[in-house]
Amino acid sequence: MSRTATRSETDYLLRKLHSFTGVIPVGAFLAEHFWSNSYALVSRAQYDAKSQELQTIPFRVAVEWLFIFLPMLYHGGYGIYIWLRGKSNISAYPWVGNWLYTTQRYTGLIAFAYIGWHLYTERWLTHGKSTYTDVEDLLQNPYALAFMFIGVLASSFHLGVGIWNFLCKWGLAATVKAQRAAGALGATVGFAFSVIGVLIVLSFWLNWHPFDFYLK
Amino acid sequence: MPDAKEVIVRVKRQVSPKGTPYWEEFALPWRPAMNVIICLRDIAENPVTREGQRTTPISYDSNCLEEVCGSCAMLINGKARMACSALVDKLDQPIRLEPFSKFPVVRDLAVDRQFMFESLKRVKSWIPIDGTYDLGEGPRMAPETQEKAYPLSRCISCGSCLEVCPQVNDNNKFIGAAIISQVRLFNMHPTGAMHAKERIAALMEPGGIQDCANAQNCVKACPKDIPLTESIAEMNRQAWKQALVGWLVG
Ligand code: HEM
Ligand code: SF4
Ligand code: FES
Repeated sequence: MSRTATRSETDYLLRKLHSFTGVIPVGAFLAEHFWSNSYALVSRAQYDAKSQELQTIPFRVAVEWLFIFLPMLYHGGYGIYIWLRGKSNISAYPWVGNWLYTTQRYTGLIAFAYIGWHLYTERWLTHGKSTYTDVEDLLQNPYALAFMFIGVLASSFHLGVGIWNFLCKWGLAATVKAQRAAGALGATVGFAFSVIGVLIVLSFWLNWHPFDFYLK
Repeated sequence: MPDAKEVIVRVKRQVSPKGTPYWEEFALPWRPAMNVIICLRDIAENPVTREGQRTTPISYDSNCLEEVCGSCAMLINGKARMACSALVDKLDQPIRLEPFSKFPVVRDLAVDRQFMFESLKRVKSWIPIDGTYDLGEGPRMAPETQEKAYPLSRCISCGSCLEVCPQVNDNNKFIGAAIISQVRLFNMHPTGAMHAKERIAALMEPGGIQDCANAQNCVKACPKDIPLTESIAEMNRQAWKQALVGWLVG
């Protein structure tokens, strides 16, 4: 086949865009989101103040669409397309990397479903003015609480594995040694996000504010 | 093992590329240092199934018998292996032999790896040294580069890395790890480097390097211990630099 005959880089660029959007802005937003929400660990009032600050940024709708919704829709949509073109084979080859390959797909889908529901309950139903009390009320429903934990863990896992993937797939971690370090970094990020995410959910559920001593 | 003196082999057979697969079982007398190719030869000498039914010898590819030609790759107990280096004493019985699943079957255990050869052509996996006149000696290769290149040059095109890759399947014509690693090898060569950009451009075509999803099965399966994941990462870096930054800085 001659090179000029199919000289199309579109497929390449779309795939790279999927990979890039996973880290920036989707992964970066997840970090920001966990950070902002961890104000719940300080106090109800601190949380509401932080929320209001974010809810009143200039160009809010444009920022939301450009840096959050569209990239996420693209990463999620193209992620499903990538998934459909792969064929898992962990039963024949149950190696760690292969397990991560498969779990990356399921956790992505869980995160997608979760984020859709989360946006509906916390962004749509509250008209973008969600408060501590709104989240607290929602979490009185045990199914909502369970889904919240699952969503947080799936997203954290997916981001952790994703960072490892990203560093390998852009050749930023090229040697076996560097890829092992990238794996350790991904695992650390995944673990840290899981712990912080779970603490935040617990905070809303139990009205628990471990950092409220700042205010005393 | 059912009987220490017997080796039980189950073979997935298929008479033609479009034929329906079926299984046959054989009981062979055990011999010391027996490998899977020896089993297949023993069956050819006396093609009688375990039930005593006369059958045809089994088609399979093999040549070197020392893991350097790459032709004897097949699924042994469900895993991609080289038949000539798969020792019977180290395998669970009955030994199940199947053709590779990612390539078209020619007959029985013989498959057609043309897809790999087409991909090698697509990325110009060679070093052009012929001109209309004598081009003279090429530049010399630094010993450090030689040390990196040698392991890559051991690829035997067996296709094991494609067979185990979840991204190589009917829905996705991913060229696979071996081809990406060969581009690295030829781009590393001082004369080969003169066509480096063309090879990288070919790697970014549909089915190219972007389809690698980092499951890293290839490096585990490669019988020649080629550092495939390093090759892929290295070529990935060169590719995005060429695609994304090339138009800015040349
Ligand atoms: C919490 C939101 C999400 C974050 C932070 C995130 C982040 C990431 C990151 C950083 C990567 C690594 C990039 C790469 O593989 O090169 C990745 C890969 C991937 N993501 Fe996501 N992602 C999210 C949601 C989703 C969703 C909703 C899906 C849809 C199913 C998805 C499917 C995938 C797939 C299939 C890959 C692997 C791509 C490949 O193997 O080449 N992700 N994600
Ligand atoms: S890279 Fe290894 S597994 Fe792949 S074809 Fe070459 S020798 Fe076989
Ligand atoms: S016969 Fe050559 S690799 Fe097995």
